[in-house]
Amino acid sequence: MTSTFIRHELKAFWRSKNTGKTIVVRVVMALLVLYLLAVVFVLGFSMNIILEKVFPKDDLVVSFCGILLLYFLSDLFTRLQLQELPTLRVQPYLQLPVKRNSLVRYLAFTSLLSVFNLWPFILFVPFILKVIAADSGNLTAAAFIVSLAELTVFNNYLSLYIKRKSNLNGWIFLIAAAAIILIGLSDFYFHFFSIRKISYLFFGHLITQPALALLPVLLCAIMYYLNFLFLKENLYLEELGSRKAGKYKSSTEYPLLSRFGSAGDLAANEIKLVLRNKRSKSALIMGLFFLLYGLLFYGKPGLPGSDGFKVFVGMFMTGIFIINYGQFMFSWQASHFDGLLVSKIKFTDFLKGKYLLFTIISTVFFLLTTPYVYFGWKTILIHFVMYLWNIGVNTTMVLFFANRNYRRIDLSRGAAFNWEGVSGNQWILSLPLIITPYIIYTPFALFNHAYIGLALIALTGLAFIVTRSFWIKKLEADFYTKRYTIAEGFRNK
Amino acid sequence: MIEIKDLKKIYNGVTVVNVPHLEIKKGESIGLVGNNGAGKTTLFRMMLDLIRPERGEVLMNNEPVAGHENWKNFTASYLDEGFLIDYLTPEEYFYFIGGLHQQTHAHVDDFLAGLGDFFNGEILKKGKYIRDLSKGNQCKVGVASCLLQNPELLMLDEPFANIDPSTQFRLKSIVKDLNKNKGVTTLISSHDLNHITDVCDRILLMEKGVIIKDIATSSSTLNELENYFGVEQSFATAAKVDQEENH
Repeated sequence: MTSTFIRHELKAFWRSKNTGKTIVVRVVMALLVLYLLAVVFVLGFSMNIILEKVFPKDDLVVSFCGILLLYFLSDLFTRLQLQELPTLRVQPYLQLPVKRNSLVRYLAFTSLLSVFNLWPFILFVPFILKVIAADSGNLTAAAFIVSLAELTVFNNYLSLYIKRKSNLNGWIFLIAAAAIILIGLSDFYFHFFSIRKISYLFFGHLITQPALALLPVLLCAIMYYLNFLFLKENLYLEELGSRKAGKYKSSTEYPLLSRFGSAGDLAANEIKLVLRNKRSKSALIMGLFFLLYGLLFYGKPGLPGSDGFKVFVGMFMTGIFIINYGQFMFSWQASHFDGLLVSKIKFTDFLKGKYLLFTIISTVFFLLTTPYVYFGWKTILIHFVMYLWNIGVNTTMVLFFANRNYRRIDLSRGAAFNWEGVSGNQWILSLPLIITPYIIYTPFALFNHAYIGLALIALTGLAFIVTRSFWIKKLEADFYTKRYTIAEGFRNK
Repeated sequence: MIEIKDLKKIYNGVTVVNVPHLEIKKGESIGLVGNNGAGKTTLFRMMLDLIRPERGEVLMNNEPVAGHENWKNFTASYLDEGFLIDYLTPEEYFYFIGGLHQQTHAHVDDFLAGLGDFFNGEILKKGKYIRDLSKGNQCKVGVASCLLQNPELLMLDEPFANIDPSTQFRLKSIVKDLNKNKGVTTLISSHDLNHITDVCDRILLMEKGVIIKDIATSSSTLNELENYFGVEQSFATAAKVDQEENH
C-alpha cells in the first residue's frame, strides 16, 4: 500500500500545474541542504578540536556528552520552524478498502525521510568513531549511535506533533517555542539548571552501561503513538474540511475601512479571510511569534555589526506578515477568483485593497515593536525605516510575484491535513525580499556611514509609497497579460 | 446585446467550442442544452472573459468583453461556487456585492426581504459562513446575488442542478418574471429539458462545441429535444435489461 501512496504522490507532484516552479524551489533547497550538510560534515570531523577550544578545562568526552542534549533542544527549535510535514490527500482513500492504519503509517513513515534526521549523524558519528570507540570500545560507540537515532526519531515525531497541533490552534506553536526559549534562558541566563549536566547524566552513564541506550526507545514509542493516534483521530471528513456544526457565526463590519470605497471593502473582506481561515490565521500568529525575535538578538553585545542585524530583525518584525502571507498572494482567494473577475471590481481597487491591508497590518506590527525602545531609540528608528521599506517596496514586490503565482490554496479544507506552505521552501521564495535592503545598506555600513544607508532605505520606501499609483498601474498592466493563466491555475483543484 | 464572432477554443488540439456566429438580442431568454463536455460552461466562461479564446471575440453592447470592463456593470452571473466568497456570511456577501453597485445596507436588506420565499428561511441570520452551507443553499446565495445587481443580462450555469423542487419552481417564476416584465436578457444552461423549455423562448443545442440547433420554443420543442437526447430509446433499453434481470 505504501508504495502505491508514494506512486500517487509522485504523480501528484509531476502533474501539478506548478511543477516547474516547485522544481526550481526544490533544486535551490537541495543545493542549500547539500552545502549545509558539507559544513556539518566538516564540523563533525573537527568536533574534537572545536570542543577542546571551547571547553579547554573539561575532559573531551564529558564536554561531548554535555552538548548532545543541547543540540537536540536547538534541533527541535529549528524543526518547529522549518521541517516539512508529509502530505497525502487522504480523502479519496477513506471510503475505499484501504486500512486507516496504513494511511496513517504512511504519513508517519514518510516523515522520517527528512534531512533533519541526517544531521545529528553527520555531526556526531565522526566523533563517536574517532574518540569514543577508541576510548571505550565498539559496544559503547554503538550504544551512542543507537541513542542518537532514538533521540532523532523522538524529536522528529515531537516536532511534527506540535506542528500538527498548532495547525489546529496557532497558540500551541507559540507556547512550544516559548517553552524551548525558556528552557534555554533558564540555563544560560538564570542558571537554574545546566542542560549540559543533565545531558552528561545520561550519556556519561552510557559509557559504563551501554544497555541504557534502550531507555529512550520508550520515549520514541510514546511519541510515535501520540502522532499515530492524533492522525487517526483526524481522519474524518469533518476535520478534513467540509462542514462542522460550530458556533453561531456573526457578521462583522469595519466602518473605518468603508471610507476607502470599494478598495476598503475588499480590504475588509481580506481581513475576514485572514481571521476566519485557520491557515491564514496561523500566518498572522506566526507574525506575532516573530515579534519575539528581537528578544533573541538584541542586547547581546557580542553580535557582529548589530545595527545591520537590526535592519534584518526590524524588517522581519514589521513585515513578516507581508512576507509570509504575501507569498501566497491571490492564491488565498483562489476559490472565488472567478467571482472577483466577473464582478464589478476594478483591478486597481483590488490592488489598492491589498496595499491597504498590508499597510494596516504592518502598522499594527510596527506599533507592537515599540517596546523595543528599551534597547535604544536607534532600534525604533531602524524599525521605522524598515516599516517604511516594507509598506513601500516589499508590498510592491510581493504583488509583483503574486502575478506569477498560479497555485490554488483551498482554504475551505480543514487545517489538520492542509500543510501547503508551512515549510522551509517558502523562505526561499522570500529571499529576494530579504536581500534587497542589504544591497542598499551594506556598502554604506562598510564605510561607516550606516545612517546614510538607513536614510536611503527610508527614502526608497517613501518614494515607493508616494508613487504607489504608478506601481498599481504597472501591476495592473502586468496582471492583464497573466489573468487567464492565473484564473486557470486557481480553477485547477 | 451579445454578439459572438468566430469564437473558437481549443484544448490540446481538440476544439471544445466553435461558434462561427451567434447573436442574442436584448430581452431574449436563451436556454443552452447539451451533454457533458458539449462546451456550455466553456462558452459561458469565454463570454465572461474568464478564459481566452483561441480565435474570435465576444461583444456585449458592441464592445469586446476582453480588455473592457463596462459589461460588468450590467451583467450578473453565477456559474459555480467559485463565484462566492465562502468565508463570508451570506449577509456580508450580499452587502459586499450591493456595495459594488453603490447600494446601501438598507437597500440590500430591503431587497433580501423580498426573497424570503426563495430563501425558505435557510440563508439569512443562520450564523453560518457560505462555506458551511449546502451546495443547494450556496446556489441560492449565488442566484440572489445576481438578482441583487439589477442586471440587464443574467447568466446562470445549471441553476436547477442542486436545488430542491420547490426552489426550482420559484427560481423558474423569478427568471420568467425578470424576462417578461423587466426585460432582462437571460441565458441559462440546464440538463432539465422540462424546465428549460418552460423558461426559455429560444433553445440552443450544443454538441461537441458546436451549436447544432437554434430553435424558438414551441409545443413540439420538448419532444424534439427528448428525441435528440435519446430519452425514449434509453427507456426502452433500460426496461429490457430489467426484464432480463428478473428472470
